[in-house]
Amino acid sequence: LPTGLSQWFPALEVLDVSGTGLTEMGAELLSLPCLHTLLAKNNRLGGPGSLPKGLGEAPLARSLRVLNLSGNRFADVPPMLLLLRGLRSLSLGGNRLHSIPPDIQELRSLEFLYLGGNFITSIPPELAKLPSLKYLVLCDNKIQSIPPQLAQLHSLRSLSLHNNLLTYLPREILNLVHLEELSLRGNPLVVRFVRDLTYNPPSLQELAGRTVKTRNVPYAPSDLPDTLVRYLSLASNCPNPKCGGVYFDSCVRQIKFVDFCGKYRLPLMHYLCSPECSSPFSSASQSSTSQSESDSEDEAAHRMQKVLLG
Amino acid sequence: FRYTRNLVDNGNGKFNLMILCWGEGHGSSIHDHTDSHCFMKILQGNLKETLFEWPEKKGNGEMTKKSERVLRENQCAYINDSIGLHRVENISHTETAVSLHLYSPPFDTCNTFDQRTGHKHKVTMTFYSKYGERTVC
Repeated sequence: LPTGLSQWFPALEVLDVSGTGLTEMGAELLSLPCLHTLLAKNNRLGGPGSLPKGLGEAPLARSLRVLNLSGNRFADVPPMLLLLRGLRSLSLGGNRLHSIPPDIQELRSLEFLYLGGNFITSIPPELAKLPSLKYLVLCDNKIQSIPPQLAQLHSLRSLSLHNNLLTYLPREILNLVHLEELSLRGNPLVVRFVRDLTYNPPSLQELAGRTVKTRNVPYAPSDLPDTLVRYLSLASNCPNPKCGGVYFDSCVRQIKFVDFCGKYRLPLMHYLCSPECSSPFSSASQSSTSQSESDSEDEAAHRMQKVLLG
Repeated sequence: FRYTRNLVDNGNGKFNLMILCWGEGHGSSIHDHTDSHCFMKILQGNLKETLFEWPEKKGNGEMTKKSERVLRENQCAYINDSIGLHRVENISHTETAVSLHLYSPPFDTCNTFDQRTGHKHKVTMTFYSKYGERTVC
């Protein structure tokens, strides 16, 4: 960037240096107090010096709203970028990212995040801590699974996941009530239920522990060795809301298909305490409570049907 | 947050002329053209067109790709139902794209197809704007 930039144009609000072959952006940026939009796509940024030192303390850290670094050579998200507290829109599309740093949650004001066209293999659950995120693009990456925590993105309107390596989705995806668009094409989504061959039957200790917990068998620390008292305190509730069961180490992964009236069948991953645990989607469920729960699942599925992009 | 369809002229009911604006990564579904002629010209950026065979009657397997090409600025393309089905996408992660489309006769419904199964689904197409004015949804 030319030195003297901030002296010539102190009131600069929008700076577009795209397609100029830039390899670094230096201190010239730090004294532009009014800059809210910086477009630097299609350059050679990615190495040290891509962003100026002292960025966290500069007025820019609070004033910058839009940053476009797409089409560069970033192999990771520079930690300094995460100091841009006021950032609303960030694009790092078409770079060389292999992962998303958990500290992305520092960008509290982020509404638009474009990470398409990288080499990302997984999504950190911390991404879900962005309260204002409306538009999330993760297409054309190498993502193998979506963390269920992503369903906590209450503001999410649009989620782009096409052309990745997803074989199933977490059941929680049905909880994104404000989602208006979801793209899933070009993923190897399983079309048939493949039995999870690695299910290990629970140990006798686990079976005993489950019985103690579900039957509320009373016990005091003096009744059992410390190790078993500790073990019993680690019981997890079966994620199936209809089942009152618990599990310790042994849990079943099961794929249930949600059929959107013949338009799409989406494989959703359920975790159950045992293969016999009746799930909300199971046709075996008989009781009246199961009807209302499977109704709400049906509603969520119906909503998703309108949201899915072909 | 998807590509937008913006009506320019309705040719006294004989055709629809519209401009489509594609953001980075935006793509269409696989669709047919309801027995109409469809001309497309790229005004800005690039669009990838993937042609598909019509699925078998029952639609029970992955749809067959016929061909694909990237259309550059000022290039034109034509399709109708006897040629096949297509998906149009802006595969760039850095550039937007703009295309001009002419459909004759005009149509407002078409079928979209699930690439994995060939199942079709009738949809009504809407305009983001008409004659420069944003349409109210």
